[in-house]
Amino acid sequence: MCLMRTHSRADLTKTLAMTTPFSPPLYMQRYQFVIDYVKTYRPKKVIDFGCAECCLLKKLKFHRNGIQLLVGVDINSVVLLKRMHTLAPLISDYLQPSDGPLTIELYQGSVTEREPCTRGFDLVTCVELIEHLELVEVASFSEVVFGYMSPGAVIVSTPNAEFNPLLPGLRGFRNYDHKFEWTRAEFQTWAHKVCRDYGYSVHFTGVGEAVGHWREVGFCTQIAVFQRNFHDTMSNAERLEPSVYRLMYRVVYPSLSDNNIYQRTLVNEVLYEAQHLRQEWLSRMNMDSSNNAHFCAPPLMDVFQHGLEGGTRDCQPVYQQGGTICVPLARVWSSPRVRALCGSVQRLREELQVDSRVRMSADGTVLILPAAADDEDDEEVEEEENVKAVSGVANNVEEDWDRELGCYGNV
Amino acid sequence: MTGRARARSRGRGRGQEPAAPGAPVMPTPPEGQLVGRGRQKPAPGQQVVILISISAGFQQVKIGERGGRRRDFHDSGVHTRQLMEHVKESKTGVSGTAIELRANFMRLLSRPLWALYQYHVDYKPPMESRRLRSALLFQHEETLGKAHTFDGAILFLPNKLHNTETVLCSETRNGEKVEITVTLTNELPPSSPVCLQFYNILFRRILRILNMQQIGRHYYNPDDPFNIPQHRLTIWPGFVTTILQYESSIMLCTDVSHKVLRSETVLDFMYSLRQQCGDQRFPEACTKELVGLIILTKYNNKTYRIDDIAWDHTPNNTFKKGDTEISFKNYFKTQYGLDITDGNQVLLVSHVKRLGPSGRPPPGPAMLVPEFCYLTGLTDKMRADFNIMKDLASHTRLSPEQRETRINRLISNINRNADVQNELTTWGLSFENRLLSMNGRVLPSERIIQGGRAYEYNPWTADWTKEMRGLPLISCMSLDNWLMFYTRRNADVAQSLLQTLNKVSGPMGIRMQRAIMIEYEDRQESLLRALQQNVARETQMVVVILPTNRKDKYDCVKKYLCVDCPTPSQCVVSRTISKPQALMTVATKIALQMNCKMGGELWSVEIPLRQLMIVGIDCYHDTAAGKRSIGALVASLNQGMSRWFSKCVLQNRGQEIIDALKGSLQAALKAYLKYNNCLPSRIIVFRDGVGDGMLQSVVDYEVPQIMQSIKTMGQDYEPKLSVVVVKKRISSRFFARIDGKIANPPPGTVIDTEVTRPEWYDFFIVSQAVRFGCVAPTHYNVVFDSSGLKPDHMQRLTYKLCHMYYNWQGIVRVPAPCQYAHKLAFLVGQSIHKEPNMNLDDFLYYL
Repeated sequence: MCLMRTHSRADLTKTLAMTTPFSPPLYMQRYQFVIDYVKTYRPKKVIDFGCAECCLLKKLKFHRNGIQLLVGVDINSVVLLKRMHTLAPLISDYLQPSDGPLTIELYQGSVTEREPCTRGFDLVTCVELIEHLELVEVASFSEVVFGYMSPGAVIVSTPNAEFNPLLPGLRGFRNYDHKFEWTRAEFQTWAHKVCRDYGYSVHFTGVGEAVGHWREVGFCTQIAVFQRNFHDTMSNAERLEPSVYRLMYRVVYPSLSDNNIYQRTLVNEVLYEAQHLRQEWLSRMNMDSSNNAHFCAPPLMDVFQHGLEGGTRDCQPVYQQGGTICVPLARVWSSPRVRALCGSVQRLREELQVDSRVRMSADGTVLILPAAADDEDDEEVEEEENVKAVSGVANNVEEDWDRELGCYGNV
Repeated sequence: MTGRARARSRGRGRGQEPAAPGAPVMPTPPEGQLVGRGRQKPAPGQQVVILISISAGFQQVKIGERGGRRRDFHDSGVHTRQLMEHVKESKTGVSGTAIELRANFMRLLSRPLWALYQYHVDYKPPMESRRLRSALLFQHEETLGKAHTFDGAILFLPNKLHNTETVLCSETRNGEKVEITVTLTNELPPSSPVCLQFYNILFRRILRILNMQQIGRHYYNPDDPFNIPQHRLTIWPGFVTTILQYESSIMLCTDVSHKVLRSETVLDFMYSLRQQCGDQRFPEACTKELVGLIILTKYNNKTYRIDDIAWDHTPNNTFKKGDTEISFKNYFKTQYGLDITDGNQVLLVSHVKRLGPSGRPPPGPAMLVPEFCYLTGLTDKMRADFNIMKDLASHTRLSPEQRETRINRLISNINRNADVQNELTTWGLSFENRLLSMNGRVLPSERIIQGGRAYEYNPWTADWTKEMRGLPLISCMSLDNWLMFYTRRNADVAQSLLQTLNKVSGPMGIRMQRAIMIEYEDRQESLLRALQQNVARETQMVVVILPTNRKDKYDCVKKYLCVDCPTPSQCVVSRTISKPQALMTVATKIALQMNCKMGGELWSVEIPLRQLMIVGIDCYHDTAAGKRSIGALVASLNQGMSRWFSKCVLQNRGQEIIDALKGSLQAALKAYLKYNNCLPSRIIVFRDGVGDGMLQSVVDYEVPQIMQSIKTMGQDYEPKLSVVVVKKRISSRFFARIDGKIANPPPGTVIDTEVTRPEWYDFFIVSQAVRFGCVAPTHYNVVFDSSGLKPDHMQRLTYKLCHMYYNWQGIVRVPAPCQYAHKLAFLVGQSIHKEPNMNLDDFLYYL
């Protein structure tokens, strides 16, 4: 279908670079157009038909803007197999999980087939796709995409035939696999018919403009943006297993919407904060004690309060109680990272109370940490282990390898 | 001595962690960065060969490989065994009792007569696009089969096509007819280098299917991390894997590895550092802490080493992208949708050594935005933190049983996962679903000779601390004129140390006069002044009690007493001697150490070869002193291996470490001559500190240099020479079954079959005993040997030498001269940064 997209794209930009260079390159501008659209309209579920090497998907993965489901479909499974791992989460995605969920799926399939699990999407993109279809296929494409899938919006881009004379050395179509290249009028006629048939409205734009009086030939790539006119009923439908398409790849990104990950991230953040407060307090204590008395161990009081000099915000001091250091939850709560993770102190408390890694006071206002770092080395334990004979004990015969070697050499 | 101090003294220094059992594996830079700094580079010939074999048809499979580094990490292609007549037939030893072992290896199975078939593919009319070529070719999947690897010109298939030349007809979408000719050019046997490369790439594909993330050369599981929140550390468990031709079969060697990542960006780190040390000291502290660290970028999985900080650059600076100038800020926004929150952060500089696309020269230094860089690995500060290391160890130090379980879990994952099996079967390959069972031998334990008496040690603990109690040492230096420095706070502990030293030295045979006690103020300058004023020429020993284990005072003592005023010295951290119940043990160790440092001898083992000189070489790569490397050479001076000559050199830019050590070897030979009135008739060099992929240069360059250096002693002087490359950082592991439980093999276990390499004269020895975790075997590779010594004797001699490290009353991981050389290089690299005074050469002053 759009097997040759990269190829044509590369050729095109190469030739254009000589006379009418597009900067950034035209294909980038097409992607940027989709990215800008996503930024403005914030669709949650996006499907890219003819995703080929998944370049657009890869871009959208970075410019997520709230996308939760990103699907790529291509008829050529070889390309998908080869490139799919580029869509895997990065190491940093695990280190700092994002707030919102993201799932990426790749399917092998054709836009002229009806696949139930492609319904209920917010945005469908068909970048430089339709010109690779036979005209009869275009009709079924329209029926499948607009009639069957009926997504919230559709972006269709295709070459503008009127621009072709400006492309030096070009005879015929821009790519040998193109079945047609439409003028603006032809494209618009098709688009308007689609709108009438399936209840969409459309506006036209494009990327890649010529300069000077050539401007009137229009954009090099013409783009139609369709918006559905009626309210959608399927967007919350259950995700189905594909019945027509073949699932090639599926990856769920780590995100805070996963409860385990959320819990882990929050607890790590809380413990980091609490440990720092504890450390700070301990070093201040040490300083005080070394100023007062050189040879004394730090004063051991049952409750030793320290703080208050840090201003009003420190009104809830860290303190020692027996062998533990108590860090008020409120102090931890003041960390912006913790705040960002947890909407309220109540929620924070509830989350922490169920976690086994955190020790809290009964009323849930104080975190309890050990006072002394148990940095005492393991005492040398002189253990009497049973001597097990694993090998013959050293033979007491005197050896002389030199002599042996001499014999060995003579033989 | 504290556990930590002991660990360090046994060679697990702060800067250089030779992978203690189960210790987290740090990113690969120490090896990577060696290239191009005038150190041992892999021989150029070797690299070229590899490049050719890659470009000759592995472009596509190469996609799985990242970066431009194509170093031969496995040193394959170094064929040393064939040059040694006496081990051509057999390189196995005979001593000891057999022991059944399991090794972390799995056989790669292929059906009989399996081969990889290499085809050349030709198009008529010619087709430009690689994608089109591949699309046209694979219209014929029914002829070619499902498994194939194609780079646009060369096709690899697991099955042979019916004909040598197959003509296929394809049609493009617009009806153009294309004739494709597929011609067999090569039939690659399973053990051919291309096949081995192919297996490794295939296996990496498998790990990816199992959702493992590649970091550096290894794969890690991101779904099951554990955290140390206090330092924002995240540790991923993973595996180190290699598929190679081993002695009798192709096997996968896989070991557990851990990756330390940090969920903290460099910017976060800078903020808290600035808060800690203030604006004034910030730039200096920042450079000190950050330079040398490996970071991971947020927007791709690349790692960089921080080489510098661009204090005059912020994200608002621009760089050239194509023909246009773009600011870092805008670039990240448009390219990755990333916003820079702090526009005033300075940028990081990394000198990228990776080649550019398609072998072009490196693209120059990379500028990195701290906000988008995650720290990885541990800093020295963290490594010195006992608590962090304890936390880490609790997760990463696996018992033999746990380690075996982890590896077995990977094996079962491979065998259970349908996609993995699918991938393997289409290629006609599979892995044996259990670990390799094999036999090793346990060498007889040695008799320790001390002061005319001989005793045996417990072979399981490989330690004779108890056995040597109350026995006189071989030779003792009496302490007549010695000093002890202490601070006022430590006056009491100094006194009790002095008394205990006196108490313990008697039975050893050491005569000890009362030390001159000198109090110093707890400042570096006053300590130095105290040393300058009190240490005289006739001072035999200086003991300094340090209030903390801060490095600066220690460095100051060592610098002064190793370079300016050569005197044996002993530093003790007050905490070590503050516990009365442990003082006897500690004082005993200190007394032994002091005796060694002054030239005393402790114990010996029987060495059944005469006129033998053992040489140990190791190096240390210094990060502080302008990245100069340090090489150390330690050579034996007597039959009992109890006296050593030591020399340490600082490598100059553009110089190989051995060039600098050549003179040291000559000096060692002269010293030997002086002590023995003859030159050694055998020299055995144990060369430690050879990185992955550097073996070729040792063989091609270092061995001739060593011979040349020996030659300078006289034209007719032709001693027998052996050169053994010692490797501690290896991924081979062995498990024994003892009392029905999976355990470490006992000390003295030798492995010289199955998992060794056919092209080498190599063997493994497990010489240490470890109380926790998995024992790490040491790999010995005899790369040159004109001694004619039987493999059995070579193995036993090596093992004997592991008994001779005087800072540990037990068996160590490497032959003593290597451990001494390591200790010396480490001291010079960490503290002295200068060549020590030659008056100390005959002493083990660096213990």
